[in-house]
Amino acid sequence: MANKSRNKNASEKSKTDGDDVSLYSAENIQHNMRTLYYSRTFLSIVGGIVAGILGLTGVSGFLFYFVIMMATSAAVALKAGFKIGMYFDSLNRVTLDGLTAGLMSFVLFWTLAYDIVHIF
Amino acid sequence: MANDLVLDTAIRDWVLVPLSLVMVLIGILRHFVSKFLRSTNTPDLKAIKESQLVVRARYLRGAANFIPEKAFKSRRHFYNNEENGLLHVPKSQAQNMQAQMFSDPNMAMDMMKKNLSMIVPQTLTFAWVNFFFSGFVAAKIPFPLTQRFRPMLQNGIDLSSVDVSYVSSRSWYFLNLFGLRGFFSLILGEENATDDTQKMMQMGGQMGGFGVDPSKTLSAEKDGLELVQHSWALPKLEEEAESILRDILST
Repeated sequence: MANKSRNKNASEKSKTDGDDVSLYSAENIQHNMRTLYYSRTFLSIVGGIVAGILGLTGVSGFLFYFVIMMATSAAVALKAGFKIGMYFDSLNRVTLDGLTAGLMSFVLFWTLAYDIVHIF
Repeated sequence: MANDLVLDTAIRDWVLVPLSLVMVLIGILRHFVSKFLRSTNTPDLKAIKESQLVVRARYLRGAANFIPEKAFKSRRHFYNNEENGLLHVPKSQAQNMQAQMFSDPNMAMDMMKKNLSMIVPQTLTFAWVNFFFSGFVAAKIPFPLTQRFRPMLQNGIDLSSVDVSYVSSRSWYFLNLFGLRGFFSLILGEENATDDTQKMMQMGGQMGGFGVDPSKTLSAEKDGLELVQHSWALPKLEEEAESILRDILST
C-alpha cells in the first residue's frame, strides 16, 4: 500500500557532543517528501471514494478527511519508528504539509462516488 | 429537503461518468503527446560545464563548515582566483555568451511546443463540454455551501432557485480539472505534463535561463563564495574519533 512510505533513503543526521549540528541530505529529504506526498494523494483519493460510498455529507465528510490525514501522519511516524527527526527536517512536514493539496482530490472523488451511489 | 431534485440515471451514465473518464484519458494522452514532442536536444557542452561548476561551488558553500578552514580556503582559491579561477569570467567573453544565447532558437521552440500541448487540449475539452453538456445539472456535492459559490458551481445554469450544492456540467469540468491533478501525479509520475502550476514555475525558471547570461550566475556564485564565513562545525571531531577508536581497540 502506498501509505507505507519508504523511508529507506534516510537522511543522515549526525550529532556531535559539543554542539548539535544536524546534517541533512537535501535529496533524501526531497525523496521522503515526495513519498509522503504520494501517500497523501493516494489516501485522499481512496478516502474520498470511501466517504462517498458511505454517504457522508457535510461536516462529517471533512472530518473523515482530517481523520484519514491524521492516520496517515501516524502511519508515517510509525514507519519512521517515531524518530521523525531522522527523516524530515521538521515535525510539521509530516503532520501539516499537503493537507490542502489533497483536499481538492478528496472533494472530487467524494462527490463522484456520492453522486453515483446516492443521488441517482 | 423539500426541493430535492431528482436526477435521471441517464445523466450519470452519459454525462457525469463520461466527463470524468474523458478528462482522465485526455490527461494521459496529453502526457504522452508532450513526451513525444519533447525534443531530445543535445545540450551544449559549455553550458553543461558551467552549470555543473555552479553546482559544485554551491556544494562547497553549503558544506563549508564541515571541512577544515585550510581546505576550504584552498578550494575557494581554486574557484575564485583572478587569473585562472573557474568562476572568474573575463569581460569580453561574457557578452559573447549573451549573443549566443539569443541566437539559439531551440529553446523558444521547445517552450512553444510545451505551451501548445497544454492549451490546445484544454480548450478543446472545454468546447466539447460546452457544446454537448451545457445546462445539465450533473452532480450534487455532498456538503452545503453559501450563495457565493453559485457562479462557481452552477456555471451555465441561470436559476437562482436551485440549491447551491447542485453542480452544473461545466462546473463539474472545472472541478475535475483541479481535482484530478493529484490523481495524475499518482498514475503518471512526478514529471507529468498535466501539472499546470508546476509548469508555470518551470517556465519561469526557463525564462530566467533564457534571458540572463550564465556568466552572471557564475559571478554571483563567486561573490557568494567570497562572502562565506568559515566556522569549523565539528570542533570535537578528533576527540570523538579518538574515543571511538579506543572503544574499538579495547573490545
